[in-house]
Amino acid sequence: MNLTDIKNTYRKLFVVEKAPEDKNKPKDLKKAVKDFWYGKPHEERRLGALYVENTGLYKHREWRGVKDTMYYFNMIWLYNYGHMVTDIMKYGGGTPKALVDFTKGLLRYRWMGQTYLTAIHWFDRGMEGMRGEEMRASAWHYRAMVSETIRQFMEMFASDKKLHGGEASEQWHKNIAHNETVSGSVFYPFRDVLEDIPLEMITYFVSVHVNSHTVLNYIDAAQSIGLPADPCPMCQAEYGLFIEDDYPDYSPVMVTTNEACDGSVATSVLQDWFLNRPLYAMPQPMRYDDPLVQKHCQKEIEGCWKFIEDQFGVKFDWDQYVKYAQSFNKLTEFEWEKWDVDANTNYYPISSVAQALYRIYYSQDGDRPIWHEIDDHVKRIMNKTVKNKIVCFPKTRHRAIAWSCAPLYYSHWTTWAYNCWGINCVINMDSLMFDQYLRTDTYEHALEDLGWFNEKAPMRAMAVGGHEHILSLFDYMERFHCDMVIMYDQLQCKGMQGIHGVFEDEFRKRDIHAIWVPHALPDKRTVSRQEIRGLINDYMTTVMHEEPLDPTLVDFDDSGSW
Amino acid sequence: MKDLVHIFELEDLLQEAANPLVKQARAEGKKALGYTCYFMPEVLLDLPGCFSVRLRAPRSTSPDMATYYMSGRTCMYGRCLLERALEGGYNFLDAQMATETCTVTCRFQEHLQLMDIIQNPDFFCEFTDVPFKKNKNSIEHYASQLQAHVLDKLKEKYDIDTSDEALLKAIEQHNEICRLVTEIGNYRKLDEPTITGWEFSVIMLATLTCPKYLIIDKLRDIAEQLKTRKPDVKKTYRCKVVLSGSEEDDPDFIKLIEECGALVVADRHCYGSLPGREEIVVKEGETPLYAIARHYLETSECPRFMEQHIMRERKDYLAKVAKEYKADGIIISQMKFCEYWSYERTIDTLILPRDYGYPVCSIEKEYVNNAVGQLRTRFQAFVESIELKAIHNKKEGSAG
Amino acid sequence: MKILGKFIFKLIKIAVFIYGLLFVVFYYDLDGKFMYYIWEPLMIKRFDNMKRPDTTLTPYGMRDNVSEDF
Repeated sequence: MNLTDIKNTYRKLFVVEKAPEDKNKPKDLKKAVKDFWYGKPHEERRLGALYVENTGLYKHREWRGVKDTMYYFNMIWLYNYGHMVTDIMKYGGGTPKALVDFTKGLLRYRWMGQTYLTAIHWFDRGMEGMRGEEMRASAWHYRAMVSETIRQFMEMFASDKKLHGGEASEQWHKNIAHNETVSGSVFYPFRDVLEDIPLEMITYFVSVHVNSHTVLNYIDAAQSIGLPADPCPMCQAEYGLFIEDDYPDYSPVMVTTNEACDGSVATSVLQDWFLNRPLYAMPQPMRYDDPLVQKHCQKEIEGCWKFIEDQFGVKFDWDQYVKYAQSFNKLTEFEWEKWDVDANTNYYPISSVAQALYRIYYSQDGDRPIWHEIDDHVKRIMNKTVKNKIVCFPKTRHRAIAWSCAPLYYSHWTTWAYNCWGINCVINMDSLMFDQYLRTDTYEHALEDLGWFNEKAPMRAMAVGGHEHILSLFDYMERFHCDMVIMYDQLQCKGMQGIHGVFEDEFRKRDIHAIWVPHALPDKRTVSRQEIRGLINDYMTTVMHEEPLDPTLVDFDDSGSW
Repeated sequence: MKDLVHIFELEDLLQEAANPLVKQARAEGKKALGYTCYFMPEVLLDLPGCFSVRLRAPRSTSPDMATYYMSGRTCMYGRCLLERALEGGYNFLDAQMATETCTVTCRFQEHLQLMDIIQNPDFFCEFTDVPFKKNKNSIEHYASQLQAHVLDKLKEKYDIDTSDEALLKAIEQHNEICRLVTEIGNYRKLDEPTITGWEFSVIMLATLTCPKYLIIDKLRDIAEQLKTRKPDVKKTYRCKVVLSGSEEDDPDFIKLIEECGALVVADRHCYGSLPGREEIVVKEGETPLYAIARHYLETSECPRFMEQHIMRERKDYLAKVAKEYKADGIIISQMKFCEYWSYERTIDTLILPRDYGYPVCSIEKEYVNNAVGQLRTRFQAFVESIELKAIHNKKEGSAG
Repeated sequence: MKILGKFIFKLIKIAVFIYGLLFVVFYYDLDGKFMYYIWEPLMIKRFDNMKRPDTTLTPYGMRDNVSEDF
């Protein structure tokens, strides 16, 4: 490598080009000091110029003004890196064995080795351009998700046969593995004696958000044994883990379900084959609004409980159920409070991506202490913004609702859309799932509500059981005072593809601005992030005739980004 | 072989959903009830005063309007049904008895609810929830769904007699059809079958799409003729295969396979008779409706079932069919974009040769079969591979 | 006392230096660059070369490990 190469590499990795119009401008010291202290105004930030081409890395991280930069450095960057170590110790029992298990897992599983250490960049992508309270509240949400992820993989690694010479530890006999779409709430009655851990939540779902590279191996593996490319890539990736032998073996059983689609049902057969251990299927009824289906649904949940009792020799514990359900209700109550502020004020301090991911994660996972801890932080921030009337996301031009399932490799597109076009995606479909309070006054009420809770799981609550569910978009638009729809177009989702034209008709009839965003859930190769941005750019310029808030964000290459 | 009696007449009836027999039955005052899936028990739709029509979209070409509504990335069967509906091809329907058993046909049926497509003022579309298991809970649930969403609706809207007596009578008539179809189908089990796969598929499809009381005599004639029908002196096929897979209602597809030298001796797919034409048995203490619910769940081999032992038994069932019908191989055909069969085909393609020793030809196809050349090549190669395997086995046998 | 004061001052200097260093790592995204250009390629190489069993050889018998109706 010669000097020119070094210079070029240095320029590529560290030097931010000035805007052409700024090159010959005289220096304005007063403004420079002001920008240093408060950070640049939104329109002058030039966030797109910060990227190292193709990588999504930053030449330097954004300067947000002294206060916010130091907050980001101390309370987000340092704090979370620190916790990524201390949480390993905490959830690993505080012994050196925790570090050994962690290291073994890190070096054994692709979804872990390639992904874990890149988690802070996931924060960066989710918090680009944010300032003040919205940055703080959103970062807390991310912190919770990382912490819970560490808890789950440490539980898996501690009892993983593959990391311990094929030996089944005592804990292995006390773990329930379940499909990521089975809600953790089902296992509340056993939480004092057993540990329920979703098999694909970390290995597939979370890892895609943090680093979209690893999942491609699993999708390719799934297709390598003959599966066509068109089924839902989420299901493909889930079973690609088995083909690649990249799943931790931490439980003697498996609980699966039919949520949310045909692909999910069909994946069960492959799960059954590769896991080759007792499997309980807990399907939920499709026509879930029908009062007649509720008893059936409840009996399937009871069947699951009986399966656990039989397999583990434990007893259903009503008191445990009540304890966790009541605790979870507190999370639900706060969620409703959040929706209220989000729908009716400009003081909602949580970014769209933080809202969506946190909501889907905790409601799917069920009650855990970390969610309460974080809700307390967020509650304090939200109370402050409401009380002091602090306008969050002040450059909002459009209040958008995102409908259908989001691109997992680009869930942070919302951050870009706000920074570039002022599109504030105030709510999304996945946030509206599991909208069910769990009564605990009697066993019958508890079971009834738990049935409903599971029937309203992600995707299926809106995507199945009748067209009225998916068309409830228009009611939610009104409720959240939205003037724009971001219509996710998951190319392999048959349920959504199957009603595409009806939406087109409705948008036209109701004179609604709707931007279709095609994607392939976790697979960034099908529709790239740049293409997604291109479609939104086109709509905003040709239909809305608007100018970007930050022109450097209109077009940039992040194809190799995590 | 000598032409089968009525076979060309039945073939003609398959050219239109609203075929002359459907029109005749409607003219006689009977209500035409459409459905798409085995999980909507046809026996209930064949109660006195109405008749079942399992929907097909024969002679479809390019479903352009439906592709606007359902995009080009959904199963073409569902799209062709919607296209045919939009063209007015199902205006004869008095009701659509719907099930949410696979996504795209569900969406098709939802379009019938949402949009003013069927030009019949009395038309309605009613959904039934179908369970994913075969346990007692599921049978009871299914029975209650059929009561509420099929029988009660038919009574309410069209004053159909849904009493136990009427149900028992419908079961009896249904069983007669099943007995005849099974009798006809059993000739495929012979060492040298006296009925071709194409002929059988025409007969089977006719029983699904025509008012049964208007074709039962033809079935009797066919069954009678088959008692004495002799196979060709010189074999016209090179091997025998089972056709397994998703929706398949095109006899020309069977013909294509047979033209390549593989006689289709068993039909284990959505519109096939295995399962589909087993007699309904009302056990002691059961109501007719409960027996029907139990029958349809127990007999179905749909990949939608999720119970562990049922998922595993499905492989065994397919191998048993192949053995019983003396097949040399299995063709597993999946409608493109069918998620259930994408997975089922994948596992069957790996497990059936490995654990049961049956060669498998695994294909993906469209509802409207344009890629005939490619398919023909695949089938020819499959037939040749079976022949080579037979030669190889023979050599090994004589050497051993 | 003076020695203790000096020691504390030295500790503070070291802490400030480390803090400053970390800030440089943070600001110039050196953590990201390390992961992207060094750590991840190493991991990819490791996982690509890892020997993996052929999972399609997993048995799919009728009798073993089957849970019946519940």
